[in-house]
Amino acid sequence: MSETKLWKKDGFVADDPWRVAGEDETADANAKLLLPLERYLELDDADRRPESTGVVVGPADDVSLLEPHLGRLGLIAVTFPAFNDGRAYSQASLLRDRLSFGGELRAIGDVLIDQIPLMLRCGIDSFAVTNETAIKRLTEGRLPGIDSYYQPAALPSRSTGSYAWRSIGGA
Amino acid sequence: MYRYDEFDHDFVRQRVGQYRDQVERRLSGEIDETAFKPLRLMNGVYLQLHAYMLRVAIPYGTLNSRQMRRLARIARDYDKGYGHFTTRQNIQYNWPKLSDTPAILDELAEVEMHAIQTSGNCIRNVSADHFAGAAADEAADPRPYAEILRQWSSNHPEYSFLPRKFKIAVTGAERDRAAIQVHDIGLHLKRNDAGELGFAVYVGGGQGRTPMIAKKIRDFLPEADLLSYTTAIMRVYNLYGRRDNKYKARIKILVHETGGEEFTRQVEAEWQKLKITELKLPADDLAAIASYFAPPELQDRPEGWAQIAGAKKSDAGFSAWVHQNVTPHRHPDYGVVTISLKPIGGIPGDASDSQMEIVADLAEKFGHDEIRVSHEQNLVLPHVALADLEHVYRALLKAGLATANAGLVTDIIACPGLDYCALANARSIPVAQEISERFGSLERQQEIGDLKIKISGCINACGHHHVGHIGILGVEKKGAELYQITLGGSGDENTSIGQIIGRGFEPEKVTDAVETVVETYLGLRQSPKETFLEAYRRVGPAPFKEALYGETSKAA
Repeated sequence: MSETKLWKKDGFVADDPWRVAGEDETADANAKLLLPLERYLELDDADRRPESTGVVVGPADDVSLLEPHLGRLGLIAVTFPAFNDGRAYSQASLLRDRLSFGGELRAIGDVLIDQIPLMLRCGIDSFAVTNETAIKRLTEGRLPGIDSYYQPAALPSRSTGSYAWRSIGGA
Repeated sequence: MYRYDEFDHDFVRQRVGQYRDQVERRLSGEIDETAFKPLRLMNGVYLQLHAYMLRVAIPYGTLNSRQMRRLARIARDYDKGYGHFTTRQNIQYNWPKLSDTPAILDELAEVEMHAIQTSGNCIRNVSADHFAGAAADEAADPRPYAEILRQWSSNHPEYSFLPRKFKIAVTGAERDRAAIQVHDIGLHLKRNDAGELGFAVYVGGGQGRTPMIAKKIRDFLPEADLLSYTTAIMRVYNLYGRRDNKYKARIKILVHETGGEEFTRQVEAEWQKLKITELKLPADDLAAIASYFAPPELQDRPEGWAQIAGAKKSDAGFSAWVHQNVTPHRHPDYGVVTISLKPIGGIPGDASDSQMEIVADLAEKFGHDEIRVSHEQNLVLPHVALADLEHVYRALLKAGLATANAGLVTDIIACPGLDYCALANARSIPVAQEISERFGSLERQQEIGDLKIKISGCINACGHHHVGHIGILGVEKKGAELYQITLGGSGDENTSIGQIIGRGFEPEKVTDAVETVVETYLGLRQSPKETFLEAYRRVGPAPFKEALYGETSKAA
């Protein structure tokens, strides 16, 4: 198992300060912690500090519960417990499209190279990657996406001038 | 029919490139079979008992002669000279080499075809009435909507990793030839009182180990809302469908466990937030897609009536074929021709390369260049002038394609079964072949009348046994094959799930059992007009149980 690296559209990010909170940890002004959604909702408002408190959304969580707090959230992570558990694609789409979340949206869990292009389109913009093939390919700048889209998605795209449902990449 | 524009070509080229890269990773050993499996599955490549299998999409079962010729060439160059047409209107090749599959996809792309989403837990090829655009009983052609759904669902970023596979079927006629009530989503295109087009929406039908008839969740959805409403259904399913057990992961289980009313409420609530978005279909776009499916210009050919009458008198074979395999067309001088892929004793759905080429020639010459694949594993020429029927018949006869059994007892649906499939518990094809031989006499078949036999080699029900008038399910018991018989299933507008009639039969006894069922029906029907299904619905299982298991039997 290689170590987890954080990747964004412009490349790998060294020294990312965020980490998922341990079971008995709670909001801490001195550590950048990602709290499970349920624990985040239980916090006092004063502890919901955008610069140090983020949320990890589990696959079964209802992201609409975060709506009142989105202005105070700098980072939300969505979870892929396995590459074929696709709930986080809908959660990310809802956070971006329905709830207009503008902060960082991170994929954690089983993040593989062939799925990253789909995740990007659902509005996920940072990726905690452990898979060796994924790290190697991202290092080489080989992201295997398709930039002709047959359906609207959270990531902005350009109209093709024909058929409302189509667009192409690179807004 | 629909033709690719530059956008479509680009998309498919990119997708083939993506797949080629994935195959190279596998062949070079960079990834193992476990990592490769989900990648190949998104492109219709299965690992079967003996070899890889490639399933090629035939969107809503429509293709032209050029595409059919290409399918024939692929069968010849990359397979053993044949292909297998499936119950989802696709074609499967059973023997391609993995290293050849990218080249096959290149060949397909040249004729505007692909294998995208023919497997995997995603939205599969959208199927439709195989008589669409030709049937006399149609409100409108369902294929433009199937095409829009095909496009919208292709490489959908949110719905490529659903809890389980997802199948959509569309029909435009009251008479349901697309089995929409046993699909994840079934759409019935119709007109409202104002004459506007829209859909009755059915959700949660399916076969497999828990067969269920779909629930109608909306009686009329305006056509412009097709994609927004479908998106709402998909989102509810993707978020809440079960992922803890693959056998409970289809949307039918979610609908069942949530309750139809509550499920509908969730979909409608989600839809309220989606309906006024870019998913709303502009009238111009709908018209542009529909124009691809404009009906061919059919000249009046009234001379056909007399010609057919003459030929029927002098040739009993032709007469039987016209009677059984030609369906009324909306133009009175034309017919819809079913080309049976069920020769007596043959393998249901198989066609050789040369047979495919002959069908392509006939479509080009006599059929306005259109071919359909039916979910009953036959081919269809939808627009043939009555005056040309005899030419078509003679050519089909020479090619072994003129079996006059459409809808009869030997027009059997069967899954590939244990001969090919890694999931199967029992053989299906040999059972189909033996039943076909037993009932091979055309007179006997005609006497029996409409009777659909459907055979599955395992509980996954790819052979649709649940909706067979007579269904046969192969199971494994103590290492031996055993066949359960179900009666009274139907996949049309009056869909019903067949009932298990009693304990199963050994392979050598199953044909006798089917014959007993058929003889029982012949003995109790009120007139030759009363079909097997009507008779079964009237009398129920008791007389059949008695005939199969004896009077004292209290069969389970």
